[in-house]
Amino acid sequence: MALLLSVFEQGFIYSILALGIYITYKILDFPDLSVDSSFPLGAAVSAVMIKAGINPYITLPAAFLAGGMAGLATGIIHVKFKVRDLLSGIITMTMLYSINLHITGGQANIPIFSDDTIFKLSPLRDKAGAFNTVIVIFVITLLCKIIMDLYLNTKSGYLLRAVGDNETVVTSLAKDKGTVKIVGLIIANALVALAGSVMCQQQRFFDISMGTGTIVIGLASVIIGTNVFGKFSFLKATTAVIIGSVIYKACVAIAITCGMAAIDMKLITGALFLVILIISSVKKGGAD
Amino acid sequence: MKKFIVLITASMLALTMLSGCGSSADNASGEASAPAESVNVAIAQFAPHGSLDNCVEGFKLGMEEAGYVEGENVTYDLQNAQADMANANQIAQSMAAAKPDLICGVATPMAQACYNVANGEIPVIYTAVTDPVAAELANEDGSSVGNVTGTSDKLAIDAQLEMIRKFMPDAKKIGILYTTSEANSVSAIEEYKELAPNYDFEIVDSGISQTSDIPLAAADLASKVDCISNLTDNTVVSSLATLLDAADKAGIPVFGSEIEQVEKGCVATEGLDYIALGKQTGAMAARVLAGEKAQDIPYETITEYSLYINSKALEALNMSCPDELKSEAAEVSAEE
Amino acid sequence: MIKLSNINKIYNSGTINETCLFTDFNFEVKKDDFISIIGSNGSGKTSMLNIICGSIPIDSGDIVINGNSISKLKDFQRSRTIGRVYQNPAMGTCSSMTILENMSLADNKGRLFGLTRGTNKKRIDHYKELLSQLGLGLEDKLGVKVGLLSGGQRQALALLMSVMTPVDILILDEHTAALDPKTAEIIMELTDKVVREKQLTTIMVTHNLRYALEYGNRLVMMHEGNVIMDLNAEEKKNADVDDILKIFNRISLEKGNSL
Repeated sequence: MALLLSVFEQGFIYSILALGIYITYKILDFPDLSVDSSFPLGAAVSAVMIKAGINPYITLPAAFLAGGMAGLATGIIHVKFKVRDLLSGIITMTMLYSINLHITGGQANIPIFSDDTIFKLSPLRDKAGAFNTVIVIFVITLLCKIIMDLYLNTKSGYLLRAVGDNETVVTSLAKDKGTVKIVGLIIANALVALAGSVMCQQQRFFDISMGTGTIVIGLASVIIGTNVFGKFSFLKATTAVIIGSVIYKACVAIAITCGMAAIDMKLITGALFLVILIISSVKKGGAD
Repeated sequence: MKKFIVLITASMLALTMLSGCGSSADNASGEASAPAESVNVAIAQFAPHGSLDNCVEGFKLGMEEAGYVEGENVTYDLQNAQADMANANQIAQSMAAAKPDLICGVATPMAQACYNVANGEIPVIYTAVTDPVAAELANEDGSSVGNVTGTSDKLAIDAQLEMIRKFMPDAKKIGILYTTSEANSVSAIEEYKELAPNYDFEIVDSGISQTSDIPLAAADLASKVDCISNLTDNTVVSSLATLLDAADKAGIPVFGSEIEQVEKGCVATEGLDYIALGKQTGAMAARVLAGEKAQDIPYETITEYSLYINSKALEALNMSCPDELKSEAAEVSAEE
Repeated sequence: MIKLSNINKIYNSGTINETCLFTDFNFEVKKDDFISIIGSNGSGKTSMLNIICGSIPIDSGDIVINGNSISKLKDFQRSRTIGRVYQNPAMGTCSSMTILENMSLADNKGRLFGLTRGTNKKRIDHYKELLSQLGLGLEDKLGVKVGLLSGGQRQALALLMSVMTPVDILILDEHTAALDPKTAEIIMELTDKVVREKQLTTIMVTHNLRYALEYGNRLVMMHEGNVIMDLNAEEKKNADVDDILKIFNRISLEKGNSL
């Protein structure tokens, strides 16, 4: 039970991040590596603000904004300076590493064990007991999903979807495709930083290395979600991505609890991931 | 063809799972012969790393000395997060979910993750945490913040500086290479800088962010200083050979901070033996398992540091162990 | 209306593959002209369209539309007054979006793409009416993703979208070439109807000599970056496919193309 709960906690936190990566990877077709640093950026901003005694709920929008700035940087590097997509992400990721350490005043690790977090201040804390954490995370994830669904159905959202689908259409609509891409990167990195903020408050410490491999988790979640659950037309892509994230975390949990040698963990996680992808492509009935 | 591939993959996966789960089944049958009051201890290690491996080994030895013998009356669930924070968190959560009698967290981020998920219900013993106060695992006075205690691998920086001064009476600058992302290294650097003037040293630090930065940073550092003192920085220790090589080319010695580093070619250390640290931690864990409350036990630092030297490495630099230290120095045979 | 003057364009400048496409090229389009442009591959037809639309930069020269130089404007800025349909039906629409979403996008051209609802429900009847004029049954498929439509259906939709908001100029880049003859016929008739109704200044590049003669009021043949034939409405009426083909074959043979 507790294990199941932890899968959902982790899965929902990373699904906020996966929603962001869904924008870059699926909608914009932009392999954005800056997320490996915008995730700890959100965490750093939150940890520092919480240490300064600021209400943890205020740190969520703050982290969101900080992430947006990171996305803006990647976007400008790519669009204005015409640096290749992969490289612009790498440049932002590299520079953010130092900026993150500047935010924390050079500390690589900030514990917030004795401070308030969104979970400690949750109004449900007494009633929900062990479920408090997962409920708070779920509400934040759900809000992100609903807002993103609404956004993707606005005019601006249409344009964002169009730019990833067919840049020519955006140009012929007399809109600068570069600007639209920048907007997409801002939203994506803002979501990733928000996930970092929630993660930091759930684990109750910030660590500079917490961003390592974020992009892999995010991509895996998006791909599992859209490949396996994208086929069900009654499911929105955003819902599929959230489910994908929970499934990925369940794979990791299985690898951890199965009791094999610790060094094999990544091998098993990767194998489970592969099997899910193979099964989903077999179900599709084609080698496309 | 496609189905065939699926079949192969699936069966391979099944095999891996079986072999993996098989070993745990062996443990289970071993348990059956052990006394009924057998305990389950989960050990969460942050990264695959020589010193941390030694900690775990020492921990089991310490437990054994206190009567908890692996396979007889204690079952270990050892997990390694492979230096990945996302894994660290999930490992901690899955361990807590299994409700073991005690969780041992090895290295700072892992200790924090374990303490967070244990929720005060499961005692957490940590080791290889340099600064438990900064990590908010202990209060300023050394007392515990909750159902958690352990050992610190804080370096004997004062003793180390004193030793370096004895080895190199004329040296002025000590170089230190560290990773900016490792909290332990950052706090060690601060302490070095604070204490260095007492021995008329100046600290030249060089921060790196990843392994690939080491060759350039090490060569640059070695050209600027009279000697290098190495920390227990995970990234740097993994590439110690590169650092030693750079120092060798510049003709300067590297002082280590634990016995393993001296084995690998550092000239000397006034430092840590992680097996001993692990043993000390194991003994604390045994006390908690026997009924003592973790929150009543203040965290401990390694009780005794000792001087280890590597004569071969010293000779190569035309150096020797100062006479006043000869009596206490233990020779470490160098690995080739 | 449109005036290209002293255009110079060299591809792969400074490399061994350097090809000089336009040297001191001049071309003028009058208001309400419907020009058909023919010419062999590499003659510069599509390049000229790309130069007008800003898809490729020029080395020197000037492009003037309605008396204003647009040489410095970016491609998307020029799109404000230009509608364009491409040879590939996939170019003019978004395949992962529905017909309704595509129509809504096109309907909002020239206005702010803000945070209001993407589709204006009040406009749906209007969209249906426009689609029903195509006679392809698309008005009942508003919720269908465009990627699932046939090439002809997509091209018809692309044409509709390109002229949904007021534009002055319509650029047609071999827009029937990828379609089967019957569908091509439908699209061509539709094009003619749209151009007449909206009184658009139109430049159509085509490989189909019959269309070139049948539609429009001016026929231009290009060869190696030059206009080698320019027939007005009167001359066009008197020309027939065989005459044009003779000239066409001659220049093709000169270039070493086999027929």
